Amino acid sequence: MPAVIVVHGGAWAIPDELAEASVAGVKVAARGGYSVLRRGGSALDAVEAAVRSMEDNSVFNAGHGATLNTDGEVELDAIIMDGRTLGSGAVSCVKNIPHPVSLARAVMEKTSHTMLTDKGANLFAESIGMSTVPTDSLVTEYEWREWEKHKHYVTGVMEDFNSQWAHDTVGAVALDHAGNVACATSTGGIRNKMVGRVGDSPVVGCGGFADNCIGAVSCTGHGESILKVTLARLILSHIERGLSVADASQMSLWFMGERVLGAGGAVVVSSAGQWAATFTTERMAWASVENDVLSYGLDPKDVRKEKLLFE
Amino acid sequence: MLPVVVVHGGAGFVPRQRSELSVSGVCSAAGSAYGILKGGGSSMDAVVNAVTLLENNPAFNAGIGSVLNVRGDIEMDALVMDGKTLASGAVSAVRNIANPTQLARLVMEKTSHACLTAEGASQFARAMGIPEVPVESLITDYSRMRWQKNLAADANPVECQMGKMGTVGAVAVDTEGNIACATSTGGMLNKMVGRVGDTPCIGSGGYADNNIGAVSTTGHGETIMKVTLARLILFNMEKGQSVEAASDSGLALMKSRVDGLGGVITVDPQGHWAARFSSLQMAWAAAQSDTLHYGLYTGEHFTQNIDDPESHYPKYKA
Repeated sequence: MPAVIVVHGGAWAIPDELAEASVAGVKVAARGGYSVLRRGGSALDAVEAAVRSMEDNSVFNAGHGATLNTDGEVELDAIIMDGRTLGSGAVSCVKNIPHPVSLARAVMEKTSHTMLTDKGANLFAESIGMSTVPTDSLVTEYEWREWEKHKHYVTGVMEDFNSQWAHDTVGAVALDHAGNVACATSTGGIRNKMVGRVGDSPVVGCGGFADNCIGAVSCTGHGESILKVTLARLILSHIERGLSVADASQMSLWFMGERVLGAGGAVVVSSAGQWAATFTTERMAWASVENDVLSYGLDPKDVRKEKLLFE
Repeated sequence: MLPVVVVHGGAGFVPRQRSELSVSGVCSAAGSAYGILKGGGSSMDAVVNAVTLLENNPAFNAGIGSVLNVRGDIEMDALVMDGKTLASGAVSAVRNIANPTQLARLVMEKTSHACLTAEGASQFARAMGIPEVPVESLITDYSRMRWQKNLAADANPVECQMGKMGTVGAVAVDTEGNIACATSTGGMLNKMVGRVGDTPCIGSGGYADNNIGAVSTTGHGETIMKVTLARLILFNMEKGQSVEAASDSGLALMKSRVDGLGGVITVDPQGHWAARFSSLQMAWAAAQSDTLHYGLYTGEHFTQNIDDPESHYPKYKA
């Protein structure tokens, strides 16, 4: 079974000043995840590695580079799911952990639960030796400035979805040589969100879903809209009915736009090895590797390819 | 066939001596919610009313009577969803309030978010003027007793999960054809601090869509999440399955694929409803066409006139 990995670094109107770094970041993440697959590693290991790489990269809103809530604090959400067992691990509103995706995996593998939140998630992190880091080591100068600028917007007020708002959640899906699929998604949420706001990322079926019988999905975009349509699970339901990964993604994102006026993006891999990176926002930074070929893009319909060389 | 409301009081094992409490609780909640619907009230008002009554009833694992986490504290989860707009509101691991479902509804109606957790949820509750209540006012002798038993080194985990009254929930279709669901729980007995189950996770603890129907689920939360049970059942209905067949195949998949048991209440836009479970029992009640339906064990389906003040559930000797 040929291995595939697809990663995204967020679906939104990525400004030109962040474009190059975003594309570079997803390429590095995809290459890193693919190396894991290439040496026989599992889909789970590959998606974790890819997402960790983007959590380390402060251009993305996950781990390092996370946005701040209205109190100027970092609250992180993440999910990881194993398509073989349907097991998943998630954390919501965990504070100051550099790799929430790894903490989510520990929830899945070291507890009998599926999701831990807030203080409970931090307590668990401490108990397994995953320490917190100071806020300043995760938050960039750029983010502090943007947070100050947006402070005067009233939080909690209903607003129409606006794709100018940063939605650079990160995520990955993979299919390994053994035929297992997995997904992972990680985020700092929306800038100036209410304290304790949980979006789609850590919610199973919304931020991501993986099932060996169908495929795996990781989503990004306007979280509240993704939740309304359980986007990840919706895409997989269309694949189950026989649609291609591209059609399933497009149909689901179109539905999200029509029914709830939300835009976003998704990366998908089916258990047969088909993959797609689809978005209804202005841009989405994404990259995939299959058969040693790296594909990547930012603007709609703009797909570039590079042949990867391995010793 | 409209309006209709269906209510559940948890899937699991209910010891005989608590049977009456669980059945009379769901019957009262269904009766009250039905009154709201007949008066022209919305399905959202009805489901929130039903679940609030069950939260206030100490016999159920929601609000008062919630199970305790490993530290002896109460952390509650709740979800509401509006089938017309697909908007939802949820709270997870919220402490020190009596009615998480009402708070979940406020998240939906008064914020631009869909879910608030823990301290953030409490902050929002304060901002909404919701009174903070001491945790002792939510803890019952029964829940404390079960917690103590489960702390013992030789505690039998299966036995300790037994007798916990379950998660509660409701689904309804109002006279305008709008559909809603609500689910509320204290979670799992002796759970880790901050453990969140299926209940506040849209698609798992519940889902409502005017074009398809609504589901509220109960059972082993972690397994419900593996199959996103509520959304799965609605996918089955979208493929043309009836409320019973869709519910049964969802529960069957949960059992065969991931070895989990649970229960669901399901309704479609025409008012067809089902209360199905793979566990030993699920206390449930439904009200439609001035008739109250209810049951506890598999195969039970009692009916009586909605205006009859008491349920005539067969009394078991303790």
